[in-house]
Amino acid sequence: MSEYAIEAAGLRRTYRSRTGWLRPQRREVEAVRGVDLTVGNGELFGLLGPNGAGKTTTIKLLNTLLIPTAGTARICGHDVVTETREVRRRIGYVFGGDRGLYERLSARDNLRYFAELYGVPGREQKRRIAELLELVRLDGRENERVEGYSRGMRQRLHIARGLLHRPKVLFLDEPSIGVDPVAARELRQTVADLAATGTTVLLTTHYMAEADELCDRIAVIASGTIQALGTPAELRRHADGRQVLEVEAYGVTDAQLATIHTLPGVREASVTVAGAAQVLTVQSDAGVDVQADVLRALDGVRLGRVSARQPTLEDAYVAIVNRVAAPSRPLEAVTA
Amino acid sequence: MTALFRLIGTGGVIAYRALFNWTTPAMFIGSLLVGPIFQLLFFAYLGRQLGVADDRFYIVGNAVLAASLSCVFGGTMAVANERRFGTLGHVLLSPRSRTAVFLGRVLPYAGNGLLIAVSTLTVGSLLLGLRMPPDALPALLATLAVASLSCGFFGLTLGALGLRFRDVWVVSNVSVALLLLLTGVNVPAAGLPGWMRAVGQALPITHAAAAARQLVAGKGFAAAAPALAAEVAVGFGYALLAATLLKLFEAESRRRASLDTM
Repeated sequence: MSEYAIEAAGLRRTYRSRTGWLRPQRREVEAVRGVDLTVGNGELFGLLGPNGAGKTTTIKLLNTLLIPTAGTARICGHDVVTETREVRRRIGYVFGGDRGLYERLSARDNLRYFAELYGVPGREQKRRIAELLELVRLDGRENERVEGYSRGMRQRLHIARGLLHRPKVLFLDEPSIGVDPVAARELRQTVADLAATGTTVLLTTHYMAEADELCDRIAVIASGTIQALGTPAELRRHADGRQVLEVEAYGVTDAQLATIHTLPGVREASVTVAGAAQVLTVQSDAGVDVQADVLRALDGVRLGRVSARQPTLEDAYVAIVNRVAAPSRPLEAVTA
Repeated sequence: MTALFRLIGTGGVIAYRALFNWTTPAMFIGSLLVGPIFQLLFFAYLGRQLGVADDRFYIVGNAVLAASLSCVFGGTMAVANERRFGTLGHVLLSPRSRTAVFLGRVLPYAGNGLLIAVSTLTVGSLLLGLRMPPDALPALLATLAVASLSCGFFGLTLGALGLRFRDVWVVSNVSVALLLLLTGVNVPAAGLPGWMRAVGQALPITHAAAAARQLVAGKGFAAAAPALAAEVAVGFGYALLAATLLKLFEAESRRRASLDTM
């Protein structure tokens, strides 16, 4: 048995595409630009990053759906390019979203079909499917067509499908995307249970609380490279020496945000939308009180609650991602 | 070996239920059972009007042609609908033999094709008064089965293109029109230019239609055998081509990320 469940060294992937017929343009996108990581057997490993950072491409390189442009990757000691079949026997792949299931079939028939595809012996199929339906809490609804399922139910069925052949390594690509909080909590519990049984899990997610709660170690990827790697506690230290000011506001403009960025002591500033309101989050040096300056910069904007707090993993994540000099989009080259 | 048969048999049937668009009774009866009968009548009456050929020519030709509709579109759906449901990646992650996975999917479509061909032949014969020698029926059934399988493999070849191109339905639509024109089912091959006849020789159902006509004319299995053998060869050729294209395009999809970008 290999020491590591997942090993990647210098993993790179460039997408090449061509558009136009008369004057074709060739476009190259470096989605992954040298990823090195190792994940131990039974570890629950998080891969975080903004949209377009290279998370899904990295997973597709590791699960054999894509071939690396350069570098190597091994799953349980098997090379993802030359030992494809051995790798596929050992992995499960779950991704978020509504698609990826046969809508006209019931959950049971979806699982029956993939049990055939993934080589689950016939005599075991019935018992294994029943076990998984119970694990993901779909027993009792297993004979209904998937087209009538909620997103949470679909997600749980995705997980059941990924576990059919008892994979040693499970790739979970944003499994809780668009799922309501109750269903997301159930999903987290399912993932935690899996890890407890010794399955190695590589999880990508946008939800820091999810990563913080579940992951043994986390890698932050941006612009196709790993920017930081460590336990959640270690990553939180990237925001050491900072404090966070949160302001509920209505109508913060880009110009005002740019002004706040330039205030003395301000390290990061971002706006997220929460319902009708915006939440302005300002990270600053711990010894500098920026509240008065920030509120002055928001002159004319209707304000709600203002609060100060200690940095979280999410703040550390923002600090790491914003530290990357290049924009978070993958590097592109266009030639005529 | 049992696992392989399960993958081909059980897997093929589940995939058929999952991916074939015309499984509802209304769609199946309307599109696959009733539609071909009206097409048969159209060509039979047109043939009578123009004096091109007799009813037997059109009844047998259109019965064989009827098998092709579900097989060509079914074969295409067997791959292209995977894209629609977003399941293609999960299928390609299977460690099982691609040839078994996809060729197994052809069998239910071929069964469909056989059912439709038999139905069209029966109803067409009853409506237009065609009498068939009873001792020719087993061989005729075998010929229709071979035609259906051959069409199924042809459809899967088109479906394989779905691993590379998103708009594979265009190819299927054109192919159905080509089968109508070039296989001699409705237009006597002698009336076609040489190059069209040559293309028709490489298409499914051309030889099956010729064999079926020999059988219905009472000329016996020996007379039909060469054409039937040619149909088997064509079907086998498409099976090989489909397996090769599926392997080729899957490898290309990993190298060029064509499942995502095309």
